[in-house]
Amino acid sequence: MNEPPKEGIKYVETTVRLPYHYVAGDYKALYLLALKEKRILGSKCDTTGKVFVPPIVASPESFAPCSQLVEVADRGVVTTFCVVNIPVIGRNLELPYVAASVALDGAAISIFALIQECKPQDVHMGMRVEAVWKPDGERQGDHEDIQYFRPTGEPDAPPETYINRL
Amino acid sequence: MSKLRNVAVVGFAQLPVVARDEHRTATEMLYPVVRQALQECGVHRDGIDYQIAGSTDYMDGRPFGFVAALDVMGAWPPRQDLHLEMDASFCAYYAWVRMQAGECDTAIVVGHGKTSEGDPQRVLNLQLDPYYQAPLGLDPTSTAALQASAFLARGAATAADLAAVAARNRNNGVRNPDNQLRSPTTANELAQSPWAVEPLRQGYLPPVGETATCMVLAAEGKAETLCDKPVWIHGVDHRTELQTLGARDLSRSAGAKLAAERALAMAGLAKAGDVDVIELMAANPAEELILLEALGVDPRAGKPSINPSGGALCANPVMSTGLIRLGETFRQLSGRAGEHGVAGASRALAHAAQGHCLQTNIFWVVGSQRRWS
Repeated sequence: MNEPPKEGIKYVETTVRLPYHYVAGDYKALYLLALKEKRILGSKCDTTGKVFVPPIVASPESFAPCSQLVEVADRGVVTTFCVVNIPVIGRNLELPYVAASVALDGAAISIFALIQECKPQDVHMGMRVEAVWKPDGERQGDHEDIQYFRPTGEPDAPPETYINRL
Repeated sequence: MSKLRNVAVVGFAQLPVVARDEHRTATEMLYPVVRQALQECGVHRDGIDYQIAGSTDYMDGRPFGFVAALDVMGAWPPRQDLHLEMDASFCAYYAWVRMQAGECDTAIVVGHGKTSEGDPQRVLNLQLDPYYQAPLGLDPTSTAALQASAFLARGAATAADLAAVAARNRNNGVRNPDNQLRSPTTANELAQSPWAVEPLRQGYLPPVGETATCMVLAAEGKAETLCDKPVWIHGVDHRTELQTLGARDLSRSAGAKLAAERALAMAGLAKAGDVDVIELMAANPAEELILLEALGVDPRAGKPSINPSGGALCANPVMSTGLIRLGETFRQLSGRAGEHGVAGASRALAHAAQGHCLQTNIFWVVGSQRRWS
């Protein structure tokens, strides 16, 4: 009776399905809508003036509200990066590719972005890059509206301009 | 009982409970609440030593959602932090223990969660074992109905008692501006509402609701500087019962009984009836009657006042409902309860529960005077 079964049920398979319906939040909704118009919004800390992208309601650093939405540039500087040589689940990208932190002009922190239209080995800290947007009529108001960033050919930004925005 | 450190509730803030906040994420809801709680204590974030949050990522559907909440809790420069996947009342217990150990003097305790973004019934089904119970599709309403049936079958109450308890809570709740349900009703009206799961009717159950909560705790020496009327913790205890529903007598709550006895003993009180106010986290009227039986309190006696806030039947924001009970006793004893205040209240009992069928229970005894001299 207490012998383990010789065959039969070894596992119980359970499928857990939990649907969610996320509220974007007003700040993120405005941010995503602005992407459709090729504009990037951040929020400005009432105390320090630092601009966070995407916008957040409060500065984690100062604990003050960020009550003002401001527009930042769709270009900036590569602050750090990595060269990806293994496929990533859910992304069909040609290997190797470059994932980078890009500090947009006017923003106090960086966003994550792909760098394309150059060789991976040419990407470096301080490189100036600009957003390549999806064409008019194809932007949906999501993060895919910016396809990737590409080098602008401008001179490199000096480290002191981005070292605190990694 | 050996002498312990006097610790007090010195602040409490919450958003009014709503079915769905369309404009804010859980983190965005929490921010103004933390600000308000600190502001009312006149303390800046650097005056807080320790923080602890009660939330569940399954409810929000956001991996590490509790980490996102750090951004709005004033946690910079970095400070000690803890997170529990439990109602925030249990978080308050952890903060109290840390203060007993002398590791901190001040703490914030927060609860957050957007129940409207997922399906709480499905999520809470996953609290059950994956072999026998969860696959049956048991959700908290159906397990609560099993418990209510067992309670009624024992002859401890009648169907009419359930309706009367629900109506009392709902009518108390009219005076509490933070409640989701605020319309007056009658036992008769509730007894005619459709079945949810028999013997529980829809009128006996709270709707899904969400909020954010923040409590400030402080030890003696600090507490007096943060609040004009600190509400002192006199006793606390919590007990957990077995996970297997069939292994328990669902018609009783042995854990609640023991936890209440221990908390009252720590407070130096002989019986639960010695307090002025009792706030219970009972998500249906059968739970409330089971808890009152464990406490040895007759709900028809009129004193203590039971759930003057309206209790969990008028607002049940998962992860915060229990902390609100403790917050309500703070409001009562510090003269902040407004229209639902109980005149002259100086001692109170606050309860919270977690899990199906009152699996885990915590009881707090609080008073307007210090417990230990």
